[in-house]
This record gives sequence, C-alpha cells and structure tokens, in this order.
Amino acid sequence: MADQDEELDLRTLSDEELTEQMWDDLYDGLADEIAEGTKILLERGWQPYEVLTKALVEGMRIVGNDFRDGILFVPEVLLAANAMKTGMTILRPLLAETGAPKMGKMVIGTVKGDIHDIGKNLVSMMMEGAGFEVIDLGINNPVEKYLAAIEEHQPDILGMSALLTTTMPYMKVVIDELKTRGMRDDYVVLVGGAPLNEEFAREVGADAYCRDAAVAVETAKSFMQRRHNQLRAAAG
Amino acid sequence: MTLDDTSVPPDPSGGRASRRGRGTGGGAEARRSARRGGALTQARHIVRTLRPVEILSEEGLALIEANADTVLEEIGLEFRDDAEALEILRANGADVDGTRVHFPRGLCRSLIQATAPATFTQYARNPERSVEIGGNATVFAPVYGPPFVRDLDHGRRYATIEDFRNFVKLAYSLPNLHHSGGTVCEPVDLPVNKRHLDMVASHILYSDKPFMGSVTAPERAADTVDMARIVFGTDFVDQNCVLISLINANSPMVWDGTMLGAMKVYARANQACIVTPFILAGAMAPVTAAGVLTQTLAESLAGMAFAQMVRPGAPVVFGSFASSMSMQSGAPTFGTPEPALVLYGAAQLARRLGVPFRSGGSLCGSKIPDAQAAYESLNTLMPTMMGGVNFVLHAAGWLEGGLVSSYEKLILDADQLGIQQAFAKGIDLSADGQAMSALREVGPGSHFLGCAHTQAHFQTAFYRSPVADNNSFEQWEAEGAKDAAERANAIWKRLLNDYQQPAIDPAIAEALDAFIQRKKAEVPDANY
Repeated sequence: MADQDEELDLRTLSDEELTEQMWDDLYDGLADEIAEGTKILLERGWQPYEVLTKALVEGMRIVGNDFRDGILFVPEVLLAANAMKTGMTILRPLLAETGAPKMGKMVIGTVKGDIHDIGKNLVSMMMEGAGFEVIDLGINNPVEKYLAAIEEHQPDILGMSALLTTTMPYMKVVIDELKTRGMRDDYVVLVGGAPLNEEFAREVGADAYCRDAAVAVETAKSFMQRRHNQLRAAAG
Repeated sequence: MTLDDTSVPPDPSGGRASRRGRGTGGGAEARRSARRGGALTQARHIVRTLRPVEILSEEGLALIEANADTVLEEIGLEFRDDAEALEILRANGADVDGTRVHFPRGLCRSLIQATAPATFTQYARNPERSVEIGGNATVFAPVYGPPFVRDLDHGRRYATIEDFRNFVKLAYSLPNLHHSGGTVCEPVDLPVNKRHLDMVASHILYSDKPFMGSVTAPERAADTVDMARIVFGTDFVDQNCVLISLINANSPMVWDGTMLGAMKVYARANQACIVTPFILAGAMAPVTAAGVLTQTLAESLAGMAFAQMVRPGAPVVFGSFASSMSMQSGAPTFGTPEPALVLYGAAQLARRLGVPFRSGGSLCGSKIPDAQAAYESLNTLMPTMMGGVNFVLHAAGWLEGGLVSSYEKLILDADQLGIQQAFAKGIDLSADGQAMSALREVGPGSHFLGCAHTQAHFQTAFYRSPVADNNSFEQWEAEGAKDAAERANAIWKRLLNDYQQPAIDPAIAEALDAFIQRKKAEVPDANY
C-alpha cells in the first residue's frame, strides 16, 4: 500500500483524469490542490467558464448530493466549500473578463426580529459552493435593507430565512413591498426556515420553500435554468 | 456570514493533510463505502465509568439478607428429582429432609464468597470478542427463549432453525451486541432431542462472539460442553470459561432435576451458570419488592452455593428476572416501576455478595414494535444500565412478554444499546474534552461548525442512530414516510444481505460436523 501516500503530480494527468481528481479533491476539502488544478486547466487553454462548470460546480454537485443523502457531515461540506472558494478566487476576474454566463447572484438575509442564522449560513455556503455569487445581509433585516441590497447588487434571487413563527410573517411584508413597487416579478424569491412549509411560501407569495441547504441549491439552479430559457426565448 | 467567516485553518487536524489518487482512499467513493457501513466495527463490552444508582441503605440490605437467611433456614427449598444433588448438599452441611433442604444461616454466603470468582472472562473463539463478566463490565446479549418470531413482512409465526440462524447472524452484525446469546428463538421445526446440536453449532459457525449452552437436559448440556471442547480444546475448557448458561429456579423455592442436572454438568466442566430465579411477582413471589428481593436472594444463594459444592471456583452469576403482573388477567407486565426497584436492589445485593449480576434487558409486553414496546423496553434498559448489571440477557429483540423474537425490534433495541454504550463512558475531562481551544478560536457571535476542534471530532462526537430519522418533514415524506419499524425492517434485511460468515478453522468445522452427525444418528428423533 506504499503508493497510497505518494504525492500525486496533477500535471501527469489527462484533462479527464484531472477533472475527476478535482471532484475528489473538492470532496476532500483540499483547497491548495483545487487552486493548483484550476491553474493547470487554465494553462491548458480551458475557458474559465468551462473550468467553473465542469470541474468545480460538478464537484460541488457531488458534495451536495452526498450531504443531502446523509453521507457527508456539515464540517466536511464547509471544507469543500472553502476549497471551491479558492478556485473561484482565481476564476472570478477571468470570468468577468471573458463575459462568461453567470451561475446567478443571490441576496440572502434573516428577516427582521430574527437572529437565528446557522441554517441561513449553510444555505449561503452551499450556494457559493454551487458557483452562485452570494450577498449575505446577516440577521435582523428590515425591508429597507433588502431593498437597498437589491438596488445595489441587482441579484437574480432574493432569499429570506426565519426560525420563529413570530418573525416568519415578515417575509410577506418584504414581498408585498416588492409588489407595491412593481419589482416582485424581477426576482426569484426563495424562503426557508424550520417553521415554514410549502403552503406558507405560497401564501406569502414566494416562489418556493427550500427545506434545507441542498434543496435551496437545487431550487435556485432550476429557477436560473428557467430564467435563461426565458431570456433565450425572448431573444429568439 | 460569508465564507470568510467560515474559513477553516489551513491544516485542521480533522482534515486530510495530503491528497490521494482516485481509488486509493480519497474522494467520494472511498467515503461513501466507509460511511455506508461496508466495514464492520464491533464494540467491546462496556466498562462503566459511572457509579451505579443505589436505592437500598445498608440497613435495608442487611434486612433483606437476614430475611433470605430465614427463608433458607426456616422454610427451606425443595431440590427435586436429583438424589445426587441431595447427597452433595448433605455432605456440605445442609439439613436435608426428604427433598426439602434447610441451610444453616450464612452457609450459602460463605461457600460462595470462599470460591466463586467476583469477575471472570468468557472467551470467544475470536479473542477480540471475549467478554468480561462482573465488576464494571456490562455485556449485552440478545433475546432468549421465544417460540415465535415476528417481522413486518410475514407477521407472527413459529420460529425455525432458519430464523435462529438469522438472529445469530444479525447479533453478529450488530456492533453493540457483545454476545451471541443462546436460544435467540426456539427452532420448533427441529426434533426436541436434537435441536440443541444445530443451535449451538449455529452460534459457533455463524458468529465469533461468545455464546450460551443448552440447559433443557443434562445430556444436552454435556453435548454443548463436548462441542466447546472441539472448538477451544479440552484443557482450555477445563481451565477457562467459554460457555455461560441460564439456570432458572422453579420459583417459588424449588430447584428441579432438569436445571440441577444441567448446572452440575456446567459446574463440573468449570463453565459459568447464571443462577436466576424467574419471578412473576404476585404468582411466583410476594407482590412487594422487598418480598421478591428476599425470595430471589434465597433461591439464587442456594443455587450458586450448590455450584460451588459441585466444583469450587466454578463461575456463577447472580440472576434476577422479576416482572410485575396484571392482577386483572394474570399476564406479566414489563417496564413497570416495581421490577425496576427490584433490579436496583438485587444489583446491590449481588455487589455485596461479590459475584457478577444478571438482570434487565429490553423487556416489554407489546405485541408489535410500537410506542408501548419502546417505552417499556427503555424503562427496563435504563435501570439495567444505571443499576450496574453485568450480563444483560434479552438486551435486544424481545417482544410480547418474551413469546416473540422480533426482527425489527432487534434493530430498534440494538440502537438503544449503542446509546447506552456511549452514555456509559461518562464525561471526558481530558484537554480535548474540555474544548477550550474551540471556545478560544470561535469566540462570541460565530459558530463552531468550522473550527479545528469540531473538524477533528465531528464524526464521533455524537452517537448517530442508524434508525432515527431527523430529516425535514418533506424529505422524510419523499422517502416513503416510514416509521421506525419500517426503517428497521430495511436495516435487518440489509444486514442479512451483507452478512459475511466469520472464518473458522476447517478442521474444527469438520470435527464439529462429525460430532453432530454421530449424535443425531445415535438415537431416533423425539419431541421430548
């Protein structure tokens, strides 16, 4: 078993082998190795968008699935997301330069009166891991703060969380304000938190209820796909 | 929080330091196979760090002991259908009048304390599975005795040898069952005079954990000892305990020829006997806890002293099986407060006597693995652990007052045993256990999920139930809205499917088979 501990030279791998190695390295939360793999693929002439989607996002999809299935633990997903972030730090300026399509941008925050944010933090982490740009407003957000962030960052998605039955109705306050201003349909609104369910999400006028962080990512991806399709249809 | 807040140190002690190539221990596949239970990690018997709960005062214990001596001296016990036993008793100072035997005060206690070991090792054919019986050790063994089995697919039915083998395989596969047990169910499809051969062989061949011997007739006990000699060697068996067997008093205050015969065989072979008055209070003993304790102590003292007369130093275990009963129907009841009081008191009596103690389990009266079963079982299991029981028969699988071995309940109970095993470790006060590094690293207002201490410990920090579902309502619903019994059903099927027989020396397996074939050919099948 001596070969197990031998250092692997990433440069000796074919593109396909390297991509698969990066999925495993993401899974194992190896940040330095992800940075190295990202650079090698770029050196080989891969487009930044290709590196993002085929190596990093696909790797994090595997992480997300195993998190959902109870195989991976929260601290391990933190490590994986951290490794993903290392790759993203290299790719982000290049993606902007090349005008690559974006995975999507999300403004997320816990609603006014509520200071419980561990679950929301997990969602932020998983969304970033999936390649989304996430602007996290933290806890105890009044409607004005959401509006200001939307104005400033022009996100695709607005996410709101609450743990308390006494604070969750505030989601409707925010959504109603968006409606009043005629902005509601410009954004996908996702809501989450332990006391919510799908019926509540419908009643307050959100687009979807996300029961956990993995589902939040899946839901966000499917809404982004729909938006891209709509844009394409409109353009065609 | 952004990811900046969750950033982990560059080299957390829990993270992997360097990369491994695909298929050599790193990545998704490796972790999936490790986490999906591919590798079987068995737990050793429990070594309790917590002091047992003691509910009787010194005065209370002395009172029960004095009353038990009065029972032994004044009322006496019956020793039936065994002339040799009466001779042995007379020769050792008991007053024998017909089959009624009176013991001078203190005789039984002094015989036991002179030669019976306070703690002993029961050897398994796999040395890593050997167990300590006595002291701070607790050993969990599966259900014993039911003629029926039950599972969600086929309901309640008579047990067969196939069921017996399944329960042995499952007990082997469940890490918190430290013992293979004995009559995990009664294989009623086999002739009574020969079924013990296949039962004992199943324990030897399908498991490598320690097991129990046949007690239904002296010659069947002798066959068990012979089979143990084939596996462990004659000299080893003479000097070490490789069998532990259940010798029940015929309460109230009777020892019968069958049990005495089996006890003589095992004691002479230096093998352990669990000397257990089996009491349904109200019918087989007085209705009060003090009365049950007195009678239990008297019967068990007489039985254990008899074993010491047969072979001084033969290992014995003070057993107590006590249930309450429904005075409306006469049915035994479990998980009730009174038997828990008896258990705590009897455990104290055993510790004062200086011998290992057997009691408790996961007992219930329910017909199915439902809320009644769960509450009653845990109401027995908690006193079992907190009382400091050394050998726990019926620790998993018991249903319907012991009439049924349940596949699903075996899984549900084994999960609870895992919880008890983790609890018994007590609080870790090492530097690592104190977690000051985590408190310093994280500080106010953040979270502990990413800190180095958590990264190093998250996998083992909390007991993880294989049965409990803690997912969101929506995920639980999407996965079929299964209750605990349905989830347990899938688990035992997976365990049986994944079961791999532990290796055994082919020469031993051949010799065992030859012995069994010869024994079966010697006499015709009989159902008595």
